[in-house]
Amino acid sequence: MNVAVPIPLIQLLQVLTVALAAPGLTGLIAKVEARLQGRRGPRVLQPYYDLAKLVRKEALAPEGASWFFLAAPLVAVAAYLTIPLLIPVLTTYGLPLGYMGDILGGGFLLSLASFAVAVAALESGSPYAQLGSSRAKTFSAITEPVVLFVVFTVALLTGTDLPYHLAATVRSSAGQVIRPAHLLASAALFMVILHETGRIPVETHTGTSEFGMIEEARSFEHSGPYLALLKWGSELKQFILFTILADVFLVPWGLASTQRLGDVVLAIAALLAKAAAVGCVVAVIDDSFAKLRLFKITEYASAAFLLAVLGVFTLYLGGGS
Amino acid sequence: MSSPGVYDGAANVIAALMLLLEFGMLRQALVRDQVRLYAAQSALISVLAIVIAADRNLPDLYALAALSGTLKVVVVPLLLRRLLRSPSGDETPGVAGSYTMSPASAVLAAIGLAAFGFFSFGSLGIHSPQAPATALAIAGAMVFVAFGLMIVRRDVASQAIGFFSLENAISLASLVVAAGLPLLLETAFLFDLLLAVVVFAMLIRAHRARSESLSTADLTKLRG
Repeated sequence: MNVAVPIPLIQLLQVLTVALAAPGLTGLIAKVEARLQGRRGPRVLQPYYDLAKLVRKEALAPEGASWFFLAAPLVAVAAYLTIPLLIPVLTTYGLPLGYMGDILGGGFLLSLASFAVAVAALESGSPYAQLGSSRAKTFSAITEPVVLFVVFTVALLTGTDLPYHLAATVRSSAGQVIRPAHLLASAALFMVILHETGRIPVETHTGTSEFGMIEEARSFEHSGPYLALLKWGSELKQFILFTILADVFLVPWGLASTQRLGDVVLAIAALLAKAAAVGCVVAVIDDSFAKLRLFKITEYASAAFLLAVLGVFTLYLGGGS
Repeated sequence: MSSPGVYDGAANVIAALMLLLEFGMLRQALVRDQVRLYAAQSALISVLAIVIAADRNLPDLYALAALSGTLKVVVVPLLLRRLLRSPSGDETPGVAGSYTMSPASAVLAAIGLAAFGFFSFGSLGIHSPQAPATALAIAGAMVFVAFGLMIVRRDVASQAIGFFSLENAISLASLVVAAGLPLLLETAFLFDLLLAVVVFAMLIRAHRARSESLSTADLTKLRG
């Protein structure tokens, strides 16, 4: 296991790990949720079967929809697959393409994907798809300030806004972990992730009730391989957000610090374990809180905003010391 | 940025949690939950006293932690719940409708107040060997949020709890600035709190006897 893995291969492995593990994570969360509700639940591998089934189906587009309706899922997945290049997925050291963009760059890619899907939903002319994309855009504007304040915290802590640097800072000493700014920003980010992955506060993730539907409604008119891409895209987004939470903020340990094959394999295993652990916590939260009415979402966002703002406050006065 | 050290970090985190609980009281719709949050906040200040006692070798603070824990975590919340219980049923009534503004705007306004308190206390530049400056600034923010709580909610329960948590904020500030204060002075603060509890108890009783509700909205009228 002492063979050195070439750097480009590690970079490719970052993308492949995220791409292949993402549907499994969704399956695991569904399984844990079902168990907590006393049901047997679907197989953990069910999302893979769903994707395989959809790929074999015929693709249809509504009359009058332009080429962008079919291009949007491709744009979204391409954006999602670029993000793992920018964040620490497997290594503690920055890979060559890792400095193409900072945290804001990753945020822009996430927004670009969501924008493409929203435009495709408008193209379809279906009221539900349009409602979903309109809601998604409105609520992401509400959670945007929270994300910005989390980025400010990172910037004040490390002097940069590169995810690799924050992970290294957190690893450096126990005093960095227990710093209020770090804990508050992590909690705020976690709340945003719960919202962004459609868990809390209003959506039902299985998405069969139109009233609480945000993300799921947007893909109503897509079918076949394009629907498969959209589903895979939302699974990728979930896995990427969990990776950012675990590898940058909460537990940036277990990443490979060398190019040795053993370290890289260990890092992949650690990443899967961390994502599964976050997934289990999310499943418990999803099952134990009642969904709110749609317009209560501002209260949820204001709570997350409070955490993020307090995090930035405590950094003044000598950096929380 | 250099790390603040584990002791400072722990003290700051406890102070930040207390501030968050203050915001929780601001948002909470049920009196029962507000009282629970107050008890949790008081428990945290006892924990902070123990942390400071252990780290700075001040055995007096253990006694203070025990005394304030018994009073503020057990006795005051029990008394409050008894006082606020409705005369007919045993369930405490809700005070959800007592907001003067929407909960989200109330939180945003309170963030503004907290910022004012935080930075005005921070700019005093008080440094004590006992505890970190951030915790003092957070205590300042808590004072303002507690005042905010008393302003935006129009019910006797929130008014009382806002006042008691104001006392928690002041205890936090005194722990931070002068942890080595003689035990006698610290217990004097606690007896101030007891006095406030008695006064509020009488006010709540009188209000309940007059208007059969927890809302203070009808007190704005000149004649009952």
